[in-house]
Amino acid sequence: MKRTGKIVLAAMLAASVLLTACGGSGNTGAEGTQAAAGSGTTSKSDGIIRIGMKADITSLDPHDHNDVQSSNATRHIYSNLIRVNSDHEVVGDLAESWEYTDDTTVAFKLKEGVQFSDGTPLTADDVKFSLERQKASSKVGHLVAMIDSVEVVDDLNFIIHMNQPSNALLTSLAHSGGAIMCRSYTEKLESEGKKLADAPMGTGPYTFVSWVPGSSVELKKNPNYFDKEREAQNEGLILKVIAEETSRTIALENGEIDILTDVGTNDAQKIRDNANLALDEYDSSQQEMMNLNTSKAPFDNVLVRQAMNHAINKEDCMIVAINGEGAGVDGYLAPGAIGYKDTAVHYEYDPELAKELLAEAGYADGFTFTTFVSNDERSRAATAIQANLQQIGVTMNIEQMEASTFYERTGNGEHDACISGWVANAEPDNTYRPLFTSVNAGPGGNRAFYKNPEVDALVDDAATNRDPEKVDEDYKEVTRIISGDAIWVPLYTQTGFVARQNNLQGIEISSFNMHVFTGAHYE
Amino acid sequence: MVKTAQTYKKRSMASEIWRRLCRNKMAMLGLVIMVILVLTAIFADVIADYDTKVIAQDIKNRLQGPSMAHWCGTDEFGRDIFARLVHGSRVSLVVGLVSVTISLIIGGPLGAVAGYYGGRVDNVIMRIMDIFLAVPSILLAMTIVAALGTSLVNVMLAIGISGVPGYARIVRASVMSIKDQEFVEASRAIGAKSPTTIFREILPNCLAPIIVQATLSVASAILSTASLSFLGLGVQPPSPEWGAMLSGGRNYLRDALHLTLFPGLSIVITILALNLLGDGLRDALDPRLKQ
Amino acid sequence: MHKYIIKRLLMLIPVVIGVSFLVFFIMSLAPGDTARTILGETAPMEAVEALREELGLNDPVLVRYFHYMADLLHGDLGESYKSGQPVFSEVMSRFPATLKLAFWGMLFAVVLSIPIGIISATKQYSLTDSVSMVLALLGVATPNFWLGLMLIIGFSLHLKWFPSGGDETWRALVLPVITLGTGCMASVTRITRSSMLEVVRQDYIRTAKAKGVNRRVVIYKHALKNAMIPVVTVIGLQFGQLLGGAVLTESVFSWPGVGTYLVNSIKAKDTPAVLGCVIIFCICFSIVNLVVDILYAYIDPRIKSKYK
Repeated sequence: MKRTGKIVLAAMLAASVLLTACGGSGNTGAEGTQAAAGSGTTSKSDGIIRIGMKADITSLDPHDHNDVQSSNATRHIYSNLIRVNSDHEVVGDLAESWEYTDDTTVAFKLKEGVQFSDGTPLTADDVKFSLERQKASSKVGHLVAMIDSVEVVDDLNFIIHMNQPSNALLTSLAHSGGAIMCRSYTEKLESEGKKLADAPMGTGPYTFVSWVPGSSVELKKNPNYFDKEREAQNEGLILKVIAEETSRTIALENGEIDILTDVGTNDAQKIRDNANLALDEYDSSQQEMMNLNTSKAPFDNVLVRQAMNHAINKEDCMIVAINGEGAGVDGYLAPGAIGYKDTAVHYEYDPELAKELLAEAGYADGFTFTTFVSNDERSRAATAIQANLQQIGVTMNIEQMEASTFYERTGNGEHDACISGWVANAEPDNTYRPLFTSVNAGPGGNRAFYKNPEVDALVDDAATNRDPEKVDEDYKEVTRIISGDAIWVPLYTQTGFVARQNNLQGIEISSFNMHVFTGAHYE
Repeated sequence: MVKTAQTYKKRSMASEIWRRLCRNKMAMLGLVIMVILVLTAIFADVIADYDTKVIAQDIKNRLQGPSMAHWCGTDEFGRDIFARLVHGSRVSLVVGLVSVTISLIIGGPLGAVAGYYGGRVDNVIMRIMDIFLAVPSILLAMTIVAALGTSLVNVMLAIGISGVPGYARIVRASVMSIKDQEFVEASRAIGAKSPTTIFREILPNCLAPIIVQATLSVASAILSTASLSFLGLGVQPPSPEWGAMLSGGRNYLRDALHLTLFPGLSIVITILALNLLGDGLRDALDPRLKQ
Repeated sequence: MHKYIIKRLLMLIPVVIGVSFLVFFIMSLAPGDTARTILGETAPMEAVEALREELGLNDPVLVRYFHYMADLLHGDLGESYKSGQPVFSEVMSRFPATLKLAFWGMLFAVVLSIPIGIISATKQYSLTDSVSMVLALLGVATPNFWLGLMLIIGFSLHLKWFPSGGDETWRALVLPVITLGTGCMASVTRITRSSMLEVVRQDYIRTAKAKGVNRRVVIYKHALKNAMIPVVTVIGLQFGQLLGGAVLTESVFSWPGVGTYLVNSIKAKDTPAVLGCVIIFCICFSIVNLVVDILYAYIDPRIKSKYK
């Protein structure tokens, strides 16, 4: 029997050596080049750009989704009145011009000669229809809650009446939920009992070809696109869902896709090292933080919260959570986000100082608390934090749960602390209001349960004040106050990545993940 | 022929089985491995100190391959994988064995009764099993978390219950195929009650598929622990557990294979031992192989 | 027999009602707010409240269940909370991919494991037996994500024989089928072996051998047929499981199957989508189990007489 075992072992060993050997020889540069070149030629011949992304599309109806993957598709089929360009400037898309006639009234003029891809001309009536349809949507209606009514003046001119002054109108119109759709087309479709999600049609640079749920969406270049400067430089786009991180990278290495939007942090270095591939890096608007529940002991004490800020080594935390592909942060909004202010108090990593602060707060012997987390990356970050806190005599238990349970339990304030993340969009009010104002304490997003009337007033002022300098000052002050109160331990921001074949050019990168692929083409 | 065996004293039967088991070299090998694994779990603290080896992080030395200092290398936190495997065996062995036992003691009798009586009893029991078979195990686990909390006992309960319909179907099939054989009829003929017949005569004769299924499902039970950890079920960081170690290495396959290799091998060795032991036990229990 | 089959098919009605009741209440018991999960953490409270109202989540559980069952009786599985699309079409657009993978995976497993199981049994404790056992154990202890990724790294990244994912070509089918099949192979091989051993030791087989009937004939004609009952049971169970989707394999190979859809729906607390999946699975499992039960009767005529 013993001999049998040995033979088995030897056979397995031999097999594994063989496999590794094959792997080694396959990894030579020559073969890699060949594969990439092969993919390059196929892409050039049909001109279709294939993009890998991590999750499936929810819906192709812009009013029925609010996620990055779905908007990757709808953004290219539809146009909005306004868009935010890669320099974070608000520019007209379908809108030729706009003007504030008073604090709550904005007059818009549409560009002339714009047609939907079925040939119907775009009119102000379509805009009214779209915005009203959006307002009625439970998924994206809240974004345009400030719009009271849309008044059509003539085919090209219309006026938006707001129910209160708001600085968020323009950026909200740029959100994927603000897509402008064709009234006659949509009404006809829906009266026949069909869904817009199955046959989306807009004024965008692409038209819809097909959608295989769970697999891919295919779009074709719209030859009648109105903006000749921004028209598609390729024949079409295929958005492919590849859920597994390792498989996504391999698909790019194999040349099965041309662009990869969700690059795993483990694989970033492999892509940098690969001569056939390129990795575009940018400051993202995403940040991770540990919310300290200020409504409960021990984190109702500012000294304890400051002690936490001194006790946690953000660098280590970032290395284990995202393999070092990012940076530790002090601020309460990622440096890549619109509305980021650098006025946050800096807390140096200093366990000794943390111990002193704890002693001063009356916790010289430490304490025990529980942190809630909702995914593996945050669980790793928490495990690193746990080891840090051990050193100052604080015991932190980690409780992992799935996202919906996490939202509910942290919304109810059951947590002592929790680790969460935030992706800021183009409108700063959409970050400052939910995260830091009193009314949003709990389920509204303010998981630190922080209540400060001064901050509430500043956020309100920033949302409505028409003076940009005053808005800037408001946000700087908010950042100063909340970082002084140490309501979070800001942890880290991950570097934004878009990976591509080396000879592919023309991707317009957005710091809040609304990349535009119209310009993508092989050289 | 089994009938005559019943007249012997019980103890002599057990010692007879043990004697036959001892003669089976492969079974003994399995037993020895099992004993070593259990001893490792019991004396884990002696082999590797929990605070300084198992949970102590060393970020600078993360993802190191096997070396003299770290026999199985280090994980993404720079922790010693060998020490974590040793301590993880405490959780994983218990979860694997107990959850399979739960499935077996609920599913086995249900299947036996269904197969033995047939007709309406069979129909009712097996249709209820069909219902449970259709409920996804994640959903079952979520309910258990919501109702009972996230303790380790509940992990075993969640995994155990989701295995019940499978055992019921396997036991039922075996019972159906042997219940009309002569020795069963003989038992009934001399007036033995139904439960006696099921447990004394039928179940021991359909042990073979049950043993195979049970020893193999220990592996899937250990692996399931990891798939439920996103619900908060099971051990929480920094405590080690094989399933979680294995799935934690998922994104490091190309850079650090040892993260998944060693926990995987630990599971393989465990079920290897159980299989050898199970095969031996089956042979030892088989009255036809007495000579 | 016909009567039995009709009776079993009619039993589907209480089974589906039972499973829908069970799952509906499990979903309402599970923590988490559907509306909040769909809208994400960035949406304001008013939007969440509005969505709750629109989806009817503020109604009592029994009322919602009643509405759901009323629709179900009309053959309507409702619309997904998350996408607003009809659940039936969402599930059915993914089901063919799952069926394809399950069928080929199972075929791969059965074609390999039954012969290996027989050889192992007839040559108990031989080298073949040991190797096949070790392979079976490796198969069952290797998580699908691990095997799948290793196959991709070896055969797609390095050797370039197969694509890394998708379901468009037959080439794309090879690696997922191997991944899925290997897991199933383990139990089928081991069960075949042990059942064969069991049957080979039965008195009538010994008698047949003693009478000088050819060894092969004994094995393939007598022993195999009688050993098939546990084997068919296990194959049925595995196939049923595969029809419910294989989340890990689907994820690794970007396979657009129902497993991923179900898990995402569970995470989103999308009750109609989860129920739709479960009801369709339940019907599949029940039919597979019925087929298995019919096979018993074919294998062992004594069982046939019990089916009335």
